[in-house]
Amino acid sequence: MKKTGIVFFPAFDWSLGETHPEREERLLYTQEQIFEEGVMDLPQIKQYSPAVANIQDVLRTQAVFPSPKHHELDAHLIAVGCSLVLGKALMAQEISNGFVLVRPPGHHSATVVWGNRGFCTLNNEAILANYLRTYYGVKKIAIIDTDVHHGDGTQDIFYYDPNVLCISIHQDGRTLYPGTGFCEEKGGPNSWGNIVNIPLSPGTGDEGFIYALEKWALPAVEEFKPDIIINSAGQDNHFTDPLASMNVTAKGYGKITEMIRPDLAVLEGGYSIQGALPYVNLAILLALAGEDYSGVREPQKINRRVLGGEKVRSYIDDLYKYFQQIKPNWRYAQGQNKHLPAGKWVSVEKEIFYDTEMFREQRHDLIRECQHCGGTVFIRTRNQATMEKAMLVKIPFEACPACEQAGYDLVEHYKKSAQTLLLQNQLRNQVLFWENGKEVNLFASEN
Amino acid sequence: MSIRIGIDVGGTYTDAVLISSGQVRQTGKVLTKPDQLLHTVLEALDSLNITSRISPNHEVENITVSTTLVTNAILQKRLPEVELILLPGSGMKLTSLPWPVPYHVLSGELDYRGRQIAALDKHELQHLTETIINKRQGIKQKNEKPLAVISGKFSHRNYILEQQLAAYLQKEIPELSMALGSEWGQSNFYRRSLTAYLNLATQDLFADFRDNLIEAVHARGLHAPVKILKADGGMLPAENIRPVESIYSGPAASLLGTLAQSNPEHAYIVVDIGGTTTDIGLVLAGKPLLSSRGAHIGDFLTNIHSLAVRSIAVGGDSVVLPAEGEQAAAEGRENNNLSLASYRLGPAYCLGGSRPTTTDALRYLGLVDFGSHTRAEEAMSLLLPEGRRETPYLRDIAQKILNLMVEHIASAIEALVKQWRNEPAYKVWQVLNPRADHKFPIKLSGGGAHGIAAALAQRMNTTATLTDHAMVANAVGAAMARPTFSWTLNLDTSLRRYRIEETGEQGEWRGSLKPHREVEQFLNTLASKQAKDMGLDEYRLEIEPFDYFPLVEGYRTVGQIIRGRVHLPPGAFQLQDYGPSA
Repeated sequence: MKKTGIVFFPAFDWSLGETHPEREERLLYTQEQIFEEGVMDLPQIKQYSPAVANIQDVLRTQAVFPSPKHHELDAHLIAVGCSLVLGKALMAQEISNGFVLVRPPGHHSATVVWGNRGFCTLNNEAILANYLRTYYGVKKIAIIDTDVHHGDGTQDIFYYDPNVLCISIHQDGRTLYPGTGFCEEKGGPNSWGNIVNIPLSPGTGDEGFIYALEKWALPAVEEFKPDIIINSAGQDNHFTDPLASMNVTAKGYGKITEMIRPDLAVLEGGYSIQGALPYVNLAILLALAGEDYSGVREPQKINRRVLGGEKVRSYIDDLYKYFQQIKPNWRYAQGQNKHLPAGKWVSVEKEIFYDTEMFREQRHDLIRECQHCGGTVFIRTRNQATMEKAMLVKIPFEACPACEQAGYDLVEHYKKSAQTLLLQNQLRNQVLFWENGKEVNLFASEN
Repeated sequence: MSIRIGIDVGGTYTDAVLISSGQVRQTGKVLTKPDQLLHTVLEALDSLNITSRISPNHEVENITVSTTLVTNAILQKRLPEVELILLPGSGMKLTSLPWPVPYHVLSGELDYRGRQIAALDKHELQHLTETIINKRQGIKQKNEKPLAVISGKFSHRNYILEQQLAAYLQKEIPELSMALGSEWGQSNFYRRSLTAYLNLATQDLFADFRDNLIEAVHARGLHAPVKILKADGGMLPAENIRPVESIYSGPAASLLGTLAQSNPEHAYIVVDIGGTTTDIGLVLAGKPLLSSRGAHIGDFLTNIHSLAVRSIAVGGDSVVLPAEGEQAAAEGRENNNLSLASYRLGPAYCLGGSRPTTTDALRYLGLVDFGSHTRAEEAMSLLLPEGRRETPYLRDIAQKILNLMVEHIASAIEALVKQWRNEPAYKVWQVLNPRADHKFPIKLSGGGAHGIAAALAQRMNTTATLTDHAMVANAVGAAMARPTFSWTLNLDTSLRRYRIEETGEQGEWRGSLKPHREVEQFLNTLASKQAKDMGLDEYRLEIEPFDYFPLVEGYRTVGQIIRGRVHLPPGAFQLQDYGPSA
């Protein structure tokens, strides 16, 4: 029998504040609903117990600065750990798909972590994806983000990575946090086209969402041919969500899940904790388990105008046409950094806002243009609130010898500096950390 | 001087013990007559010769019976017809889960906090009434009273729809005897419905047994209360127990039997080897592990709390099957693929039976001393081809049978420990304090247990010791069982409604919206009153940490949902020399 795995971790003793959307109560009614329905008694459902991830698994994917011990990570490490539990079960073929029904969420958490952003500190899906690549040799992964907010953190982590397709379908960033996720964001010099953003107009409902999937997202997945599909299953497109303005129903979420057919779905946002979550979570779970979800019905009715019909279809069609003709326009690093190893380096500067603690991060990314691999990435970052600086060198999975050497050269040069430096050697499954010119073992207490 | 009597009805034998001052004074063993359980119990009781042993100042304090009455009725499908009326509302389809019995479906819906979404439908009620009445007119035996269970989704949060429907049906069909799903106040809807169903269906059968038993006990001049052992290892007066709670008391009894003879601080595995089944349980700090899900019986999933006991179809009388049939033997090939049958065909060969069993292997290897060695040797030869029946081959095959038995038991132990370590957790502190790897010592009971002790200890890389009174451990367990009690509160201060899971009690909350100590006091008062009614005032109830969920609407805290529990965990009174007696 095909099994559907579930890890249910509602973190009943953790919140970001008593009335914060990310609070103890968030999955309480979801628990009441799925338990009372008897979902856990379905013969194809296999419940797994939660686990804690270790720091090494985090740092392979995310640079936590100034150092992991400066952050309150317990609940986040469990959410990551739960994702890995189902990832392992999937690879061991104990399950054919699964739902990581956990909090806190993670998709706003980016390559560099100076703090919490959009309720997220660690990126559950990204850490999971790189875990599967490291330990199970999975080559290509597609992450489809159906949260109403742009999955900016996940996009940032895989922006320069040719082997991960990131699709985010969300409410237009001009009308909602985090204000990004436009069609022009399509990937780096070695991964152009692997980032797909589908910003929808506020008011879009089941019809428009499903149309965007059918005409745009799913063909992109088909073309990419991923080994594994992960769904960042945010639930705030629901018409009762207090933070967003979309009109998707619980049944619509069931249909979306059925269409995406994810190997693993991971809960992201969704803060209509009474009106939406119990029903949306149930619909997703039933869809994954191959059960009829057509009876799932939220008691509230949509009482705002739904953008549908020809109007929503032509909007999506036009946007898609525009998306297809967007061309890259790289700026190359020239002379300003004489320590850059040989090769052509694309230079990208950006500023990232941390809304939870209200500060900005200044980032300068340098990507080695490469015909053979994802290209080594060198990132310099500064926390604008504390003025702390740090650096990250990332040698990608399947790096070519030249890019690998470029990564080592960068480390050799910068490891003696006063700034914190992290090496993510994804090729060799190696994570090294330097503080004040000295290598620090962050994993001493583990195992 | 107080005396406790325990009687355990097993599949083959019914055992009885008399314990006074914490010592086993008398034991008895009679054959179980499955069709005459009352007779069997009384025969076992009489085998203790009580009247001659009790002087006026020796009072029998307790008679506890562990019976298979309800278990067998369910497993053998000897249940009267019950109308099952469901109010499933929306959500998952009813047909997603296998319902072992037919049902009626009505509209009417509640949400997860018990708020009404849709009311009952008058036309449907009329139609249902007609259906039930018409059906009864077709039945000849009108003396049997009609039975109906009404069960709604989320009725454990609010029983209003169930009660409305019950009131309606009572008026229309006055002779209808009804039970509500909400009387079993825990999730989920499916298990609650089936638990209520089984309980109503076994009510008359059980009442009959209980009344006759009490009468017969009194007729023997004994005035001690008769108690019934439950699946969770607790016992309740026969008058108070809900029949379906008495299922699976046998495995509970075997665990308690060992518990009564062990240090109450210790953690260990209990292995009770019976004729055809072996029960395996886990004890932590003197408390047996409870299963996190309700008991599964026949085609029914229930809400019944039971000990996390794994029963496997391996025992002393398990028939050894030469796999590949006799063909391998006929061809003179070595038989490497022995297996154990899940059934019993009478006693072991060495005890006069007709087929080679696990006990014969143990006897041949000299690991047990009962039965005929010559016949055990014969049993082993029967499994081997002619010409390969010299001692080394016989020893080899006996050793293989022993290994097979040990392997079955060892895998079940490993599965149980794994299940315990992988219990779901819903809070950060639980995950940060995981259940450590632990080598549990093993305590063995049951006939032939000593035969496999050494081999099992070696396989599990731990120690295996024998429990005293191993032959009547179950009856000792029944005699020494402590009462259990559990009282779980679910309070929604915003809706001003409280519910008690174990009894299905629901009521109005008159306290504050954000109570703290107040609610613990409230639960304690309710629980203590209930405990007193059940005659448990002398025990100190354990309080679990409460969970408080601030209920926020529009960024304002409008109330709290609070979960709390007080309970008496399962356990056993100690026999003398095994720790302080209670």
